[in-house]
Amino acid sequence: MNIVACVKQVPDTEALIKVKPDGSGIDEGGIKWVMNPYDEYGVEEALRLKEAKGGEVTIVSVGPARAMETIRTALAMGAEKGVHVSDPLLDNTDAYTTAAALAAVIKGLNPDIIFCGQRAIDDDSGQVGSILAAILGIPQVTIVTKLEMADGKIKAIKPIEGAQLVIESTLPCVITTQKGLNEPRYASLPGIMKAKKKPVDVKNAAALGIATEPKAKVAKMTPPPDRAPGKIIAGDDPAAKAAELVRLLREEAKVI
Amino acid sequence: MTHGGDILKVGNEGREVFWNAPFPTEPILFLFTAIVLAIAAYGVYLRWQMWTAIGKPEDRTDQPKERIRSLIINGLFQVRTFREYYAGIFHSLIFFGFFVLIFGAAVDATQFHIGLPFFHGKFYLWFSLLMEIFGLAVLAGVVMALVRRYVLKPDLLGYQGKPDNTFDDAVVLILIGAIIVTGFIIESLRIYVNYNLDGYTWEVWSFVGFALSHIYTGISYDSVRMAHKVMWWTHSFLTFAFIAYLPWSRLMHIITSPVNQYMKSLKPKGYLEPIRDFETAETFGVGKLEAFTWKQIFDSDACTRCGRCQDGCPAYLSKKPLSPKKLVQDIKTHWEDRVKIVLAARKLAKEKGGEPEIPPPDKALLGDVIDMHELWACTNCMYCMENCPVYVEHVPKIISMRQCKVLMDAEFSPELQLTYRNMENNSNPWGIGGHLRADWAKEIGVKTLAEDPNVEYLFYVGCSGSFDDRGKKVSVAFAKILKAAGVSFGILGTEEGCCGDSAMRGGNEYLYQSLAQANIELMNGYGVKKIICTCPHGYNALKKDYPHFGGNFEVYHHSEILADLIAGGRIRLKKAVSSLCTYHDSCFLGRYNDIYEQPRKVLSAVPGVRMVEMKRNLEKSFCCGAGGGRMWMEEDIGERINDMRTDQAIEAGAETIAVACPFCLTMMADGIKDRAMEEKMKSLDIAEIVWDAMDLEEAQAAPAAPSE
Ligand code: SF4
Ligand code: SF4
Repeated sequence: MNIVACVKQVPDTEALIKVKPDGSGIDEGGIKWVMNPYDEYGVEEALRLKEAKGGEVTIVSVGPARAMETIRTALAMGAEKGVHVSDPLLDNTDAYTTAAALAAVIKGLNPDIIFCGQRAIDDDSGQVGSILAAILGIPQVTIVTKLEMADGKIKAIKPIEGAQLVIESTLPCVITTQKGLNEPRYASLPGIMKAKKKPVDVKNAAALGIATEPKAKVAKMTPPPDRAPGKIIAGDDPAAKAAELVRLLREEAKVI
Repeated sequence: MTHGGDILKVGNEGREVFWNAPFPTEPILFLFTAIVLAIAAYGVYLRWQMWTAIGKPEDRTDQPKERIRSLIINGLFQVRTFREYYAGIFHSLIFFGFFVLIFGAAVDATQFHIGLPFFHGKFYLWFSLLMEIFGLAVLAGVVMALVRRYVLKPDLLGYQGKPDNTFDDAVVLILIGAIIVTGFIIESLRIYVNYNLDGYTWEVWSFVGFALSHIYTGISYDSVRMAHKVMWWTHSFLTFAFIAYLPWSRLMHIITSPVNQYMKSLKPKGYLEPIRDFETAETFGVGKLEAFTWKQIFDSDACTRCGRCQDGCPAYLSKKPLSPKKLVQDIKTHWEDRVKIVLAARKLAKEKGGEPEIPPPDKALLGDVIDMHELWACTNCMYCMENCPVYVEHVPKIISMRQCKVLMDAEFSPELQLTYRNMENNSNPWGIGGHLRADWAKEIGVKTLAEDPNVEYLFYVGCSGSFDDRGKKVSVAFAKILKAAGVSFGILGTEEGCCGDSAMRGGNEYLYQSLAQANIELMNGYGVKKIICTCPHGYNALKKDYPHFGGNFEVYHHSEILADLIAGGRIRLKKAVSSLCTYHDSCFLGRYNDIYEQPRKVLSAVPGVRMVEMKRNLEKSFCCGAGGGRMWMEEDIGERINDMRTDQAIEAGAETIAVACPFCLTMMADGIKDRAMEEKMKSLDIAEIVWDAMDLEEAQAAPAAPSE
């Protein structure tokens, strides 16, 4: 079976994010980059499927040169090979262009199933998997927490408000993965060492023949406003302080 | 007593060595001696073959002087054996008794063959007396041992409440007892004749035999002579049995224990050989018996099942499946099974030619022989190693097996996986953003080395001191003390990284080395020479393991620095801190680094502090439960180790549990909470106590910020 898992490199959830003064994006200095956690579920599921049914897992990522580390991480977990779409013209591009780049790579891989994280934790757009399925013209099941495969079909479980849907789909299809699907494995040391030698194709936009002009652009990025400092009510008389507290809660905070 | 007056008349006292045992006694004795020695030698040879059959090479013969010293202290003088009094006493009675008796037998033999010019008179009398005393000593030792094993049945001679006595245990004790008893009987029979018939009045010096000889009053001298002959041969054959049986029984420890003591590790305590060939090695850690070194295997054969290691093992005592004794014995049993197969296969190959075909083991070392709950229960507290009389090394074995589970199989608890990811991504086990590492220092204005590298000490804060709320308070207190004492120091700030101890002890040597290397590069870059750590885990790693990777620093623990500052009068403790304090020894400070005294000295210097010791202290201290990566893992089997330790402090009546380790601090605070003792007890780091006693905190007139 040909299995593809798409991964994105994102800042670690704990990283200190500073917006560039011109609002064009974030300042990347000092950031620890990791694999998007939702993509990890996809890689893990791809590996489990391969272990159960045989086949090969290919990792595809669109991102700057540093994204290679994330591809290697997935290879260390056990994937066979990788494709890295690396092109300055695609840096910080939109969901559509990313999906188009992925589609261009994946078409040539002739996959049976494709995994994407349900969203990336950096821009939270949650569109790439769906656009990818649309471009490839294949079905998609999103936000999956359980997956089974039998007789050339998949059966997926997707939680919805207060219930869950059981969805069947033919193959090939795109699955977007949600927390709960599995526990991603820890790479073994031989895995890490072998990953250094596994093949990764590096391609640019021209080689894939895709348009690089994004359809959507981030016009401006602003940091969330600083939290207003707390107030300490001074005074010696507890009754007066309590009265002041009530007044502030009603008039300033408007919570009572 | 008609002959009493003659006792002091010194002259002809002595005896004929082979009295009443005419020819052909001597040739028969020689023949049997030769036979039993051959049997014993063959037994040792077979064992030798087994010891050398499998295992990786390891040099344990360097520094012979040091090794002989260890042998004399612990082999000859039985120093470690005495750490447990009852067993120490009975073992010494038997051990020293035997030593002297064997010496006596040698004197006897020499007298017979060559003749000793001094084997009569005063010498003979004192010799007789000495033999009596030591004969009795051995007998008393055997009785004590029998009582302990079969009547008192202490838990350490079993596993989870069930004694693990073997048939051999009884045989050996009874054999030794029988040799001594028959010896006394022979003597008494001889004395009965010599004293009463021949008038050897000096026989009273052999007081046991003399006392026993009265039993025979009225029996004819010929019958007694006959009985003497029979007993004499019984005694001789029991002794032969002892020699022949030695290599096939627990008596083998007479050889293996001193050998193991001679080959003990001379590296710093808690030393772990780093993995050096990540790029080229195909396997990491120990996943099968053959991956141990020969010494690690020999260790398990040298284990005497004395159970001392188990007796203070926090994992075992908190009812987890791990017992260091059982672990070592399980490896031994597995080895005995496996080595026979290996040797047989090699023999066959030798006969037939070609390579030996060694079948794979039917039991996996990891999983079948050693259960995973056992493997992961160890806190690396080192109680076992520090108290094993024969220097069995448990902890390196446990870590190397963990290495296999983590590095090779990547099969270990999800909590620990998360911890390792956090350490990888944010260089701390909690996974808190690395940019917050120096926030604790903001308010008190500690300079980083980036701001001023010309300081005497680097204060390596570590993860707990940087991120944990309690730990941060300790860092603040200690930094304030240093400032007040005018010590020149700086921190690494947000550049600092995790020391890696939890990764290393949890088997993730790869992660550990990458963290260590990052720190070392940074420290070397700033030209750091002296380092102070408040966390004993970082202290131990920086001091003992970082030199492997080019990090050679003078490393101090804050308890050492505090003790020095107080002794040198550089800080003054003015305020009385009235509290009944017990000091809880951190394993990584005490057993790993022999720092027992300094923290106690610091506490004793604080006015108002009264000290009380818990029952388990110093090298027998009880772990808090957080070492060996256990800090980050669920504790879902048995009791909680920290609660047990808290109970011990409660039992001692302590109001304050003073610690010198942030892990211990957390564990004790949790224990106090679990036992609902927050009103009556608290846990504090020694630095907090000292800072409080220095009484330099600006008058806290303003209402204190609400604590969490
Ligand atoms: S190091 Fe401590 S926890 Fe581990 S086996 Fe030894 S005594 Fe038990
Ligand atoms: S390992 Fe050492 S302490 Fe433990 S039972 Fe064996 S000999 Fe005794």
